Amino acid sequence: MRLFSALLLAALGALGPVAPLRAQTPLTTPDGFAVPQPGHRFEFPRDHGNHPDFKIEWWYVTGHLSAEGGRRFGFQATFFRSAGPRGAADVNPSFGSGQIFLAHMALLDVATGKFLHQEKLNRAGWDAASASGTLDVRNGAWSLRLADPTDPSPTPRLELTGGIRADAAFTLTLTPAKPLVIFGENGVSRKGADPTAASYYLTFSRLRAAGELTLATDGDATAAPEKLRVTGEAWMDHEISSSQLSAGQVGWDWLSVQFTDGRELMLYRLRLADGTADPASTLTWVDPAGQTQRAPFTLEVLDRWTSPATGATYPSRLRLATTDPGTGTAVRLLVEPLAKNQELTGALGGIPYWEGACRIRDESGRELGSAFLELTGYAQALKL
Amino acid sequence: MGTLETLLLRRCSLRHWRMAPRQSLLLVGILALGVAVFVAVRLANHAAVASFTHFTDTLTGQSDWIIQPAAGTLPESVLPELRAALGPRPVHLFPVVESTAARVRRTDESANFGRTTYTLLGVDLVAVANLARAQTPNAAYFGQTTGDPADFWAAFRAGPQIWLSRAFAATLGDARTLDLVINEQVHALPIAGLIPTAKDAPRVPANLILLDLPQLQLLAGKPGRLDRVEFLVEPGPRADERRDELRALLEQLGATGERWTVTSPGARRETAATMTRAFRLNLTVLSLIALLVGLYLIFQALDGAVVRRRSEIAILRSLGVEEGTIRRAWLAEAAVLGLLGGAFGLLLGWAGAQLSVRAVGQTVNALYYATTVESAGLDAGEIALGLLLGLVASLVAGWWPAREAARTPPAQVLVRSAVAAPGHVALRSAWLGVALVAAGVLCAQLPPVRFAGGGRFPLAGYLAAFLWIFGGGVLCGFLLPAVARLTRRARTSSAVARVALSHLAAPSGRHRLAVAALLCAIGMTAGMAILVASFETTVRGWVQRSLQADLYISSNGAQSASSQNRLSPPVWRALATHPAVAEASVLSAYPIELDRTPTILTGADLRVVRARSDLPWVQPPLDDAVFDAARNATLVLASESFCERFRKKRGDTVRVPTPAGPQVLTLAGVYADYGNERGSLLVERARLVTWFGDDYAANVSLFLRAGADAEGLRTELLARHPGLAIYTNAALRTEILRIFRQTFSITYALEVIGVAVAVIGLALTLSSVLLDRREELTTLRALGFARREIALATAVEGTTLAACAVAGGLTLSLALGWLLIHVINKQSFGWTLGFALPWGQLAALAVTVVATGAAVSYAVGRWGADLPADREE
Repeated sequence: MRLFSALLLAALGALGPVAPLRAQTPLTTPDGFAVPQPGHRFEFPRDHGNHPDFKIEWWYVTGHLSAEGGRRFGFQATFFRSAGPRGAADVNPSFGSGQIFLAHMALLDVATGKFLHQEKLNRAGWDAASASGTLDVRNGAWSLRLADPTDPSPTPRLELTGGIRADAAFTLTLTPAKPLVIFGENGVSRKGADPTAASYYLTFSRLRAAGELTLATDGDATAAPEKLRVTGEAWMDHEISSSQLSAGQVGWDWLSVQFTDGRELMLYRLRLADGTADPASTLTWVDPAGQTQRAPFTLEVLDRWTSPATGATYPSRLRLATTDPGTGTAVRLLVEPLAKNQELTGALGGIPYWEGACRIRDESGRELGSAFLELTGYAQALKL
Repeated sequence: MGTLETLLLRRCSLRHWRMAPRQSLLLVGILALGVAVFVAVRLANHAAVASFTHFTDTLTGQSDWIIQPAAGTLPESVLPELRAALGPRPVHLFPVVESTAARVRRTDESANFGRTTYTLLGVDLVAVANLARAQTPNAAYFGQTTGDPADFWAAFRAGPQIWLSRAFAATLGDARTLDLVINEQVHALPIAGLIPTAKDAPRVPANLILLDLPQLQLLAGKPGRLDRVEFLVEPGPRADERRDELRALLEQLGATGERWTVTSPGARRETAATMTRAFRLNLTVLSLIALLVGLYLIFQALDGAVVRRRSEIAILRSLGVEEGTIRRAWLAEAAVLGLLGGAFGLLLGWAGAQLSVRAVGQTVNALYYATTVESAGLDAGEIALGLLLGLVASLVAGWWPAREAARTPPAQVLVRSAVAAPGHVALRSAWLGVALVAAGVLCAQLPPVRFAGGGRFPLAGYLAAFLWIFGGGVLCGFLLPAVARLTRRARTSSAVARVALSHLAAPSGRHRLAVAALLCAIGMTAGMAILVASFETTVRGWVQRSLQADLYISSNGAQSASSQNRLSPPVWRALATHPAVAEASVLSAYPIELDRTPTILTGADLRVVRARSDLPWVQPPLDDAVFDAARNATLVLASESFCERFRKKRGDTVRVPTPAGPQVLTLAGVYADYGNERGSLLVERARLVTWFGDDYAANVSLFLRAGADAEGLRTELLARHPGLAIYTNAALRTEILRIFRQTFSITYALEVIGVAVAVIGLALTLSSVLLDRREELTTLRALGFARREIALATAVEGTTLAACAVAGGLTLSLALGWLLIHVINKQSFGWTLGFALPWGQLAALAVTVVATGAAVSYAVGRWGADLPADREE
């Protein structure tokens, strides 16, 4: 569960009355977009590509990198597709009017705490597009695609090109270490009581990343940029939906953890206006073979940070309590941001959010793995 | 300045100016006028250039590079190609479509010329948000102003709609739509809002109208095409290096097939500046003349003051005040006057600029490019320049009088009549006059100064004009004794005439100067009149010969050189095949750049052109091949201005850029075209259709079947196509001549001013002369001369001066007319004009000057007759 932008949230307005809880899943939303159907059979590489019948779709890569000499970085590369109200014919497909593409890039230099980020907004057309038969999405000079566009395997190699203005650029090869995970029940990940509030949620929960990171030299406008060989681990979500939020939800917290023991964990907590979590909130464990299992969880805020840019106050250190499905024992984990300020201020998307690299420790202080945390709806309720 | 000078200034000069406030005011006024004209023209010029707006600046900030084709438009396919070639480089690509539009003409508006041309700018309204300027917090961009997502989508999905500048929107009240003529269609476009701007963005030009790019592509008839692509390098580290690298890459990509040239907003502005440089320099020369005339009047006035205050100076001298001190005091006085005049001149000039700026802007609009001139600003530099100008002018003009003042002998030896008038030495050398005229003849042979961008300035030509004016002024002084001798031989018995002529037989420097100034004014005025008359006669003949069709049709929005409104193929075909039409001549026109110099490539059915109109040849084609579509594939005709601008002649080859690659064409002939000064090339229209891949027409001329009613057909076609401008033959001829007269209307004002100033100068001269002759006047009175007789004598003196000046001035005007027509005009614009003399106008000028000269000198004589014998004033 990720993303939010003013554009996306426009979907909310068109949702109509909340349907009865156990109603049959409708085929379309009231505004004519497709609704994820249980039992959908995915085909690859086709389903890595876009799903223009759905209103919202994103390809979301986050990860941790380290360079020779031990320098560490967190990075985020996100490509959003968002369809406008149905029924608009393109005047000129090079400057399309049916859908728009938003992209976010971010990079954290862990040692210095310097956090760079940039957004791009383009209409579908010559400078932003996604392919329908394979993974090939781009926005300006940024792109994410399959190394071999026809690769049908569950572990295809990906290529990511991104950067932040003239300050940083990266090209990474991402190789899945595990097959694709499909979250949710019967192929559908639920986000609320409304039967349309659901997504197809496809994830590479562990990608080996290798490539080059180019960094402009600080404080010297003419010095040659620094080129670093980097390796690391990344996580990629591909989520497809026509409605992500139900009435009453004000935001969400999302967390992915990659444990050193080869397992992963993903949770989203949908926050309601009264501060409680929506029952659709979920925590899912992924075992070393890629099998998923849900577990109950609670999140406790230990520390807070207030953004000087937006004034929003975000949780900064969290305690996660859940159970280990392997042993059935209780697990208490500390989620610690690698830097306090990893806020994307949302100049284009319209909504600021915090998305950052974290480390995971147990209560004895032992480091268990790395994580990425996303916190939305703290600057303002995600309501329009 | 020493205390003595200060004291002198306070005690003598100030007292003097207080006692004769009207004179001081006049002096400051004259100076102010001279400075004002110069400042006004300069400010207007400035504004005309500054207003060449690179329209995208307001939205994007300054682009780093622009690619644009030398001819035609770019296909959209260059965009993905460029993005791929740029790879991961952080560069914003900003495609732009630009066109023009006009408001629908009201039925009571006959004039097409001078209406505002609106620039339609088509940009990607979504991508604009990515630029640094839009990303600054709270910067408004399209559809995000309200925060309602529906508005965001509506901004580029709700069909064609327009965003306006605040200034323009304010003139429309609460109108929801705006009727615009784009090509030949009238569109009622919904007004979506105001063009959003960031704080540091340049002000939105009033005539800018913004649309979403794909919508403008359709409206302007350019589907899938772009006028240019702009590039913004992401700011940050190594920006200069990345900028240079980008330029090299773009140049390399564009070089294949000569698809585009790489330029920058600065270079585009520079091109605009050079395009109009010659025009602006011509205006500046005219304004300098005003300053020169002012200088002359100041000189006369200060000279008069020296004469009047001579006894006062003589007393100071006898009190032991040094020559140098007196001189400095006079110069200081002149400087104070100069600063005052300069300051008033600035105010006046600024006010004048507000008026003239529109006129200059209109001319620039008609001849060169779309400007948005609205007001002319006065900055510190201009203020300093205005004051300096006033100061220098008054010091220069005050130099001789100050020297005269300083040379005043002490009171004991003061003998009024012994004092020589200033400036006489140079004026008394006939050789100097002959030498000046000869130097002028040499200068008239020199070629113009050439600027990048095709501009030419006839520097030597203007120099020749100045030399002839000065030479003529010097020589004309010799007319005075000659005339005096002649009339004396006629044995006048009238004492009045004898007294008057005795002064002219040995003319003083003042006399000579007055004649020279009058001669200069008359020469320039009459010379200008000759130019205008010749121009008008030539244009009239050209119009007569080349306009043969019955109806002329273009877009109602086509009204200036910058207009891009055209006729779409279905519309011009419908016009051409109307049953009442016997034959149609279709003209296409594309702005192109040859060697980075803008010019126009036109196409017509050359067979029809030859059969139907009499092209005024400068160099006719040597054989008929050029008129035969089967044989003219590599031939081209060029206008005379084109040949002047690009230094080509019949038989030369031209490499013409087209979207289908460069074409090497041979100049088969040269025709006269007084329509534009950028020059034009004419080829078979079918070739243009192939090269440019579109079939739009710039205008259509219809030849009707015998018996068809042109006026009736015009009404019928207008009813069917309200976006067209249709002229009958007679109406178009009238319109062209009207535009012509409008263009030259300023010269008539200059003529009146020139003559008025010269006559005032004459009056000032005569009053100085009379002051100088106070003792003589006393004697005359003692001899029984009546006031009337003294006045008459002065009138004879003044009239003779005026008559001599008119004789010399008219002679000079013939020379200046020739120079203006064959050197200055030819070098600036490349137009050959036939010499025509406006007899009536010249005669009227001569009579007016002599008559007003007589009247003014009679009045001065009356005043002189009342002068007391030997008391100051």
